[in-house]
Amino acid sequence: MVTEKEKKTRGQVLEEWKEFVWNPRTREFMGRTGTSWAFILLFYLVFYAFLTALFTLTMWVMLQTLSDHIPTYQDQLATPGLMIRPKTENLEVLVNLSDSQSWKKHVEILDKFLEPYNDSIQAQKNDVCRPGHYYEQPDNGVLNYPKRACQFNRTQLGDCSGLSDPTHYGYSTGQPCVFIKMNRVINFYAGANQTMNVTCVGKRNEDAQNLGDFAMFPANGNIDLMYYPYYGKKFHVNYTQPLVAVKFMNVTPNVEVNVECRINAVNIATDDERDKFAGRVAFKLRIVKI
Amino acid sequence: MGKKKSEVYSVEVNGIKDIETANEGDGKEKYKGLKDHLGHKKDHQKEELKKELDLDDHKLNAKELEDKYGTNIIQGLTSARAAQILAQDGPNALSPPKETSEIIKFLRQMVGGFSLLLWAGAILCWIAYGIQLAKDKSASMDNVYLGVVLALVVIFTGIFAYYQEAKSTNIIASFSKMIPRQALVIRNGEKKEIPAEQLVVGDIVEIKGGDQIPADIRILASHGCKVDNSSLTGESEPQSRSSDFTHENPLETKNIGFYSTTCLEGTATGMVINTGDRTIIGRIASLASGVGNEKTPIAIEIEHFVHMVAGVAVSIGVIFFIIAVSMKYPVLESIIFLIGIIVANVPEGLLAAVTVSLSLTAKRMAKKNCLVKNLEAVETLGSTSIICSDKTGTLTQNRMTVAHLWFDNQIYQADTSEDQKAQIFDQSSATWVALSKIVTLCNRAEFRPGQEGVPIMKKIVVGDASETALLKFSEVIMGDVMERRGKNRKVAEIPFNSTNKFQLSIHETDDPNDKRFLLVMKGAPERILEKCSTIMINGQEQPLDETTAEAFQIAYMELGGLGERVLGFCHLYLPEDEFPDTYPFDIDAMNFPTSDLCFVGLLSLIDPPRSTVPDAVTKCRSAGIKVIMVTGDHPITAKAIAKSVGIISANSETVEDIAKRLNIPVEQVNKREAKAAVVNGMELKEMSQEQLDEILINHTEIVFARTSPQQKLIIVEGCQRQDAVVAVTGDGVNDSPALKKADIGIAMGIAGSDAAKNAADMVLLDDNFASIVTGVEEGRLIFDNLKKTIAFTLTKNIAELCPFLIFITAGVPLPIGTITILFIDLGTDIIPSIALAYEKAESDIMNRKPRHKKKDRLVNQQLALYSYLHIGIIQSLGAFLAYFTIYAEQGFRPTGLIFLRSYWEDDYLNDLEDSYGQEWTRYQRKYLEWTGYTAFFSAITIQQIADLIIRKTRRNSIFQQGLFRNKVIWVGIASQIIIALILSYGFGSITALNFTTLRVQYWFVAVPYAIIIWLYDEFRKLLIRRYPGSWWDKNMYY
Repeated sequence: MVTEKEKKTRGQVLEEWKEFVWNPRTREFMGRTGTSWAFILLFYLVFYAFLTALFTLTMWVMLQTLSDHIPTYQDQLATPGLMIRPKTENLEVLVNLSDSQSWKKHVEILDKFLEPYNDSIQAQKNDVCRPGHYYEQPDNGVLNYPKRACQFNRTQLGDCSGLSDPTHYGYSTGQPCVFIKMNRVINFYAGANQTMNVTCVGKRNEDAQNLGDFAMFPANGNIDLMYYPYYGKKFHVNYTQPLVAVKFMNVTPNVEVNVECRINAVNIATDDERDKFAGRVAFKLRIVKI
Repeated sequence: MGKKKSEVYSVEVNGIKDIETANEGDGKEKYKGLKDHLGHKKDHQKEELKKELDLDDHKLNAKELEDKYGTNIIQGLTSARAAQILAQDGPNALSPPKETSEIIKFLRQMVGGFSLLLWAGAILCWIAYGIQLAKDKSASMDNVYLGVVLALVVIFTGIFAYYQEAKSTNIIASFSKMIPRQALVIRNGEKKEIPAEQLVVGDIVEIKGGDQIPADIRILASHGCKVDNSSLTGESEPQSRSSDFTHENPLETKNIGFYSTTCLEGTATGMVINTGDRTIIGRIASLASGVGNEKTPIAIEIEHFVHMVAGVAVSIGVIFFIIAVSMKYPVLESIIFLIGIIVANVPEGLLAAVTVSLSLTAKRMAKKNCLVKNLEAVETLGSTSIICSDKTGTLTQNRMTVAHLWFDNQIYQADTSEDQKAQIFDQSSATWVALSKIVTLCNRAEFRPGQEGVPIMKKIVVGDASETALLKFSEVIMGDVMERRGKNRKVAEIPFNSTNKFQLSIHETDDPNDKRFLLVMKGAPERILEKCSTIMINGQEQPLDETTAEAFQIAYMELGGLGERVLGFCHLYLPEDEFPDTYPFDIDAMNFPTSDLCFVGLLSLIDPPRSTVPDAVTKCRSAGIKVIMVTGDHPITAKAIAKSVGIISANSETVEDIAKRLNIPVEQVNKREAKAAVVNGMELKEMSQEQLDEILINHTEIVFARTSPQQKLIIVEGCQRQDAVVAVTGDGVNDSPALKKADIGIAMGIAGSDAAKNAADMVLLDDNFASIVTGVEEGRLIFDNLKKTIAFTLTKNIAELCPFLIFITAGVPLPIGTITILFIDLGTDIIPSIALAYEKAESDIMNRKPRHKKKDRLVNQQLALYSYLHIGIIQSLGAFLAYFTIYAEQGFRPTGLIFLRSYWEDDYLNDLEDSYGQEWTRYQRKYLEWTGYTAFFSAITIQQIADLIIRKTRRNSIFQQGLFRNKVIWVGIASQIIIALILSYGFGSITALNFTTLRVQYWFVAVPYAIIIWLYDEFRKLLIRRYPGSWWDKNMYY
């Protein structure tokens, strides 16, 4: 009995919809007359304008509380991460000796990446600092701006400096250089006043065998304390973070080699279960040779 | 459908009804109204009707019956034959109403409401994982987990809803449990007791007073057997049963006893002619289940709401899916966005909260004597606009009571309240002494022994209704009736019978010096008056002259006009010389005078209204609910009761009243002028649908008298044609189709038959009309409160949805995760949304009209817009403030976040630079993202507290409502805070749930927005109160 009443024909439904969209009797569009629409739109305009103003105000107030040179909190940055250059998709450094295109893009990235490290630029912009000591530039009541950075010369990277290097950081000969860098963290005293260095190993036994010899620049993969602390993008202009270059001399070709590099520093833990890049970096190396 | 309808009416054709009108015409005429009503019904249905009438056993004699059923009246069936028939016909029991199987019920919960949407979400999750897996063997299992979580949410809410439903069904199941009955049967020539279920057609059974008749039986022999057919016909007058064939119609002939009716007195032997579902009762019961159960209004509302929300969810989901795809997001990611949008849009916990709210109200109603079978019926009562109420037992006390007395030429009123303590009429007159003596002595009713402690009104009496009333009346006024009867020893008696219309007894007097006998007599007043030549005035016998006779007539008419049953009383002291001590009174020879008696007075009886009813009816009226009385009683009685309870108000008139007042024929009266109408069942039968509609529309005060239970169905349908939500009360088996048909069927808990209780949605434990009104109040309150609950719950959906939209369009890191959303919907928000069910009414909800079924929706446009586009948006802003604060204070300023997403989510990019030049690994970012989730979550929680407080009222200020009147709200707020704290600080290290430990100050970031929410809502309410009917009121009041 009920269903009979409730079942409307398709035509009726269509008719009802039509009438909802435009009702000629009451001159209503979507259930509202013109004035009604005007009113409601005006209301929402005013209301949302008010809300926008309110949100802008609260955001402005919030941003006013921020400092320019250091974030309020660095809760997640207790342990800086390590990263490689060239940064590739999947962190796999693939070098196909018969296909120069495969490594050209790495070389381009590296050229661009190392440009600020050119000795000339470094000499022009940055200070020569006392090695083995932190280069502290406290504000002492007056804002000490801009802060100076220490020189890290490209030549320090030795065979991996890529300067007048026909092998293109060794990529053309299957002896690629990979650069290790440690993430910048403001006011972080890496090493806690003791020397620190980067070491690399093959991840598993077979990787260690396949990895073969490698050379590190600067020697031992040392990172000097003078590059710390970092004072932030805005204050520490021209800061060039220290690098460690690893040149893999005779990687077994045609196999994937898992390499893991880590920083050995007193105050940097490298065993975080969840963060696989805390104080370490794992990447793959694959030299294709026919 | 049409077919079922005809079956319902076929009951009527069966002639179960109209026993009282049986003499007025042959069977044919009775079909007339029915034919009119059915109008278009087809021929083949007539065949069916005929078939139902096939029963002809009442016409057969004993020999023919024996042949027909292969039995022997003396010996009964043989055990073997009985077993054979039992195997063939099945047990003699009503098959229980078809229950939907538990599994179906459970599955229904699994796919009902939002479940389908969530299932879709879960399946999309798994599909997404499948695609990921195909691409990359090491795909993260996150999507699988999310899918599992969504599936679990559906399953658990489904189990919860199922459990709630089952619980409320169980209340009733325990309620209607029947005790197995025994029957005395003759088999193999031996009498033995067997369970009534094992009876078969052809069995010879014996019944005696107090038994329930175990099957439909053809009476073969009877000794003063009387049955109560009220469960079948609604008529409570006992009917005698004998072996004589007295009427063509099997339902009116005296030689058939019906299954489940009660034998009141006497004994009888009968042959079983129908068992189980083939009995008349069985047929009616199965018809009731044929009447479609209407969807409850709240179910319709919830469905409407679910459709709305699902529509919003799906359309926003699809729109943003398209946007995402056209923004060059991979399809896989777009699918994941779609899932997020669906989850954000669906208020997962809401339906559970609604169920709990309803069951809380159901519990509250049960305390007030309304037992609700179907949870949703809780609200139906609130939207009721017409109540079709029974008279007897519901509006009235269901016992005859002395209402008026007439003696010494004066009418006195008696107290008819439940305890009758305040009898205030003049008891000093000597006439009263005489009258009270007759009332006490000329009465066969007796208290059942062993009830010393019981109040008089509650004592069980053996005897008919009128005599019981008189017995209790005299017991209340004069004390121990039985003792006084003992002192006035009865020497002879003529019981009441319908030919004499009087009852007479002769007693010794209790005065030892007075050796005369006292003859007392009561009966129909005109008969009694005929037998009198004198009348007692102030204790003095005076000759009965014209004037006194006229005074009698006036009094008689007046009392009769009140719908009361009037009895006359007279007496005579028999002269001692003619009737000495040893005089042998012979009631057959009538060797004593029965004329020239002395008329003493009149007593009138009525089944008085319950004292709470007039008040309840007034409440109904102010609540805009029309109360229609539907009764089998005489129109005059019905009208009198209707007037005394206010169903017909004191100053309204019926068409007949107007005609009488203006002294014009009924036809000339303008029908519109009459507010009230008393419609006779006979008239109703002649009426067309349109005529009935006209009556229902034009009259506000309607009484249907002399109606059969079946006509109730017609009345209910008529009301439903007016778009009314109809509540129907009923107790008899025959009421069950009407109870089913009604939007809410209300069965009587005390007087109701099991069939009626089965068909009803609600059972009134105290049979009291006033309980319905408290039920209505609860129902309306829960409707209002559900609005609040839904408004509260919907609000945060926008705050959950916006993150996804911003995430997709502006490419910021995701502000809130899907799991976190589930923790809001099913964690922090659950208890507060239930707490709103405890909110008190804002104003007198019984002073407004019932909601219009189609116009006053649970979730209307205003509610949705206000929740989504006003409070929801403010809430989103507050939450985004918290989100931006977290990121900014950790190093990512808002401008740096825009379109950061692809870098942010790159698993191999482990030196992403922030606004300060620091570099972040992926995991560090992820952790920050979770902190963002937690902050967003905490901001929503804090603002939901404000939302909860504003939702307490829709019109009044919070301060008018009282902040602390509903304590449960504070339990809700405490639960919100505690759950949130546990999630942030308790699970901080369990990253699987994506919660991190939040710095204390972040909890307060959204507080300004919480305050603004509250201020804005107070402002809204203020304008609504100030400018009722204004543009603001129309657009802002939900």
